[in-house]
Amino acid sequence: MPVFKTPFNGYSVKFSPFYESRLAVATAQNFGILGNGRVHVLDLSPAAPALTELVAFDTADGVYDLAWSESHDSLLIAAVADGSVKIYDTALPPTANPIRSLHEHTREVHSADYNPTRRDSFITSSWDDTVKLWTVDRPTSVRTFKEHAYCVYNATWNPRHSDVFCSASGDCTLRIWDVREMGSTMIIPAHEFEILACDWNKYDDCLIASASVDKSIKIWDVRNYRVPIAVLNGHGYAVRKVKFSPHKRNLLASCSYDMTVCLWDFMVEDALVGRYDHHTEFAVGVDMSVLVEGLLASTGWDELVYVWQQGMDPRAV
Amino acid sequence: MATQSPPSPSSTAGNPPTLAAETSQQATGVQQDGPPEAAEQPISSPSVFVNSEPMREEQVQNAVKFLSHPKVRGSPVIYRRSFLEKKGLTKEEIDEAFRRVPDPPPSAQATSANQADGQVKSSSSNIQSQAPTQALQPQPAGAAPTAVSPASTMMMSRFHWYHAVLAVGLLAASGAGTAVFIKKSLIPRLKSWIRKVVLEEEDDSENKSIAKPSLAEEAAAAAKAAAAAASDVAKASQELLNSKNEERRYFSELMNLLDVQLQEMKSMSNSIRKLEGPSNNSGRTSLVNQEDHRDSVTGVKQPYANGKADFDMQSVRSSSPPAPGEPSVAPHPKSYMEIMAMVQRGEKPPNIRDINDLPPNPNQQLPNPRLAPKAKPWEVGQAQIASGQVIQSQVSAEGLNFKVQDNGLNHQSDDDSSVPWWQRKNVKITEVGEDEIKAGPYGVRTNEPPVQRTWVPPQPPPVVMPEAAEAIRRPKPSGPTEQSTSHQLASQASEVADELQRITKISEVGGIEEIKGNGSVQNSSEIQEEQETHA
Repeated sequence: MPVFKTPFNGYSVKFSPFYESRLAVATAQNFGILGNGRVHVLDLSPAAPALTELVAFDTADGVYDLAWSESHDSLLIAAVADGSVKIYDTALPPTANPIRSLHEHTREVHSADYNPTRRDSFITSSWDDTVKLWTVDRPTSVRTFKEHAYCVYNATWNPRHSDVFCSASGDCTLRIWDVREMGSTMIIPAHEFEILACDWNKYDDCLIASASVDKSIKIWDVRNYRVPIAVLNGHGYAVRKVKFSPHKRNLLASCSYDMTVCLWDFMVEDALVGRYDHHTEFAVGVDMSVLVEGLLASTGWDELVYVWQQGMDPRAV
Repeated sequence: MATQSPPSPSSTAGNPPTLAAETSQQATGVQQDGPPEAAEQPISSPSVFVNSEPMREEQVQNAVKFLSHPKVRGSPVIYRRSFLEKKGLTKEEIDEAFRRVPDPPPSAQATSANQADGQVKSSSSNIQSQAPTQALQPQPAGAAPTAVSPASTMMMSRFHWYHAVLAVGLLAASGAGTAVFIKKSLIPRLKSWIRKVVLEEEDDSENKSIAKPSLAEEAAAAAKAAAAAASDVAKASQELLNSKNEERRYFSELMNLLDVQLQEMKSMSNSIRKLEGPSNNSGRTSLVNQEDHRDSVTGVKQPYANGKADFDMQSVRSSSPPAPGEPSVAPHPKSYMEIMAMVQRGEKPPNIRDINDLPPNPNQQLPNPRLAPKAKPWEVGQAQIASGQVIQSQVSAEGLNFKVQDNGLNHQSDDDSSVPWWQRKNVKITEVGEDEIKAGPYGVRTNEPPVQRTWVPPQPPPVVMPEAAEAIRRPKPSGPTEQSTSHQLASQASEVADELQRITKISEVGGIEEIKGNGSVQNSSEIQEEQETHA
């Protein structure tokens, strides 16, 4: 299984929705505390398991997250720690990039997500307690959603309802928003501690997974949101990211500060179905490919990016 | 359109106006709920993403009690709301509670000053009471939002400290005094007894032969006296010990409290130092440290820095005596701690470059999409998407029979036998999908049951005319297109028959029905059909 060594600490990895073999990695120097950042666009070579770099873009500050455009195959959105949102055209050389830099957030932009149904807009969430809605062609944000009382660590679109998204915040709540409404439509006090990530189930649009500092992942049904459907325990430290599988209804992947990537089936009593402990530092980014079933990628503070098929050992040669 | 309620963690006088603004916003938001929901949502039931529960009166009353509490009154609105949200109240319940709690008059300056004082005192007592209980985590952050209040709380806590120190000193002094007094009274007693005994012994030694039984009696008496003295000594020493133990207990209790407060003060002074410290290159609030210590970002936005710093103090406090149930902090890499220490000292790590990452051409044109977006695996089986692809297949079937993919990286079409290594799946996962891709894909897809399959959905062939694809994918309103097609038809018809020119020039829009030409009628009906399917 291929490995790629990045010069900086990894923060996020995302597969391209257009090209099976392409993925992008967001990295930040000095663990993201203070320093530059870099976006790598990597390619899986088909014959031998290897990851090669197609192009890389340097940023003044660390890059915390990425989102591939769903409308343009070469566009990449980067969430940067200096509060800016940068749009890169991966078909152009680094000297012609970025093609846009949108600076409205007043603190670090922690996540970016592109609308998979409408394909024309994306949301970014920031430590300035807000979520902003953008389109690639506009120089300013379309809307700002400000209700959280603390950093918004993640915001993700609903895979079926093009106007609905969910946000996870350090104020320990999940909020569900509809861009047509003034404020949030639902507040779920999901955990007693900060919630670091959220994701929607791709096959049941009412299910949300939330990952928290309390080491657990909870699955919520918005129709009955007072009690979670499932609580997934097994990580040793805070869970940093959670991702529902695009191919299997009950499968989700998560990565944690306990340096492992875990696979869960939340409908089963013993939910943990896979555990990969290939990282030697905090595992901070994980993604499941939409185009290739079972293909996983992860990155961490150990400056390594792994891509592997579910069921195989990521460190196998 | 954009809703931005003003962030005001530092102003208490601003609370009632923001509260009013918030409630009015919420009210309008609630009012707007009705019409948009009814108009849209043709597929699913009226939005499941909204709270449809009725308001719970009990929760509202609890919230009213909470909000009426004087300590809560002094905190910013956002933290009050956040607390109620964490307790599980819905927006409507929270708004109702806010409505029920009487607001203090916003205009009076004196009352705002009083509020500030009350807030200072309440915040100090808040912080002290927060030490043992970690229940309200963001709440105490709101209790001490200004830079003034930490100093005043420090003064209040110092006051308390002095109290404690005085009390301890008094106890120690009294204990020492009693000990000294007892010793002073004991020693002369002892000495006098010893002298008496010795004198009696000397006398006895002179009168030994005569007064032996009396000696024995006297010895016995002396022994009794000595025993009594010893018991007195024992009692006194026991009393001393007891008092010392009590003192120790007092001491330990006080020391515990003092330790806690010491650490609070240390953390407060640290954060204050940082606030005053270098504003350009201090480290950012690192995500990893959300469980324990955090360095606040300075300079950029003062109100945020103040608000966050105080919240940070709360997070800092949580590290010293771990609150019950607080998850353990993940051990950070050593180099991470080194860099954090460096940044806290104000040094910049050496390997940072100055990079200009602004767009070289801010008006750079967005690229044209080279590939059509692919359907997601979970969208397969939905009627909309299936019909969308049927139309695409019609377009593609007309003249485009491309097998070679444009992107150059897709090797599925290249290889029939060898599959890229990342496609090799476990045995149980079907390989039927590979074959299905080659055969008529669209017919197969529409026949498939909506259960998700493990095959990769076939990619639609790339379109030669992206404008056509765009036009088909985004149906324009039928009016203008009909006009444009009717223009085309008109031009065609005029070529066919000269007599029709006059009619078409007179009425171009209505000319579609009037054109009698065979070919044009067929064309118009075809185009109309296509438009109808797209509309």
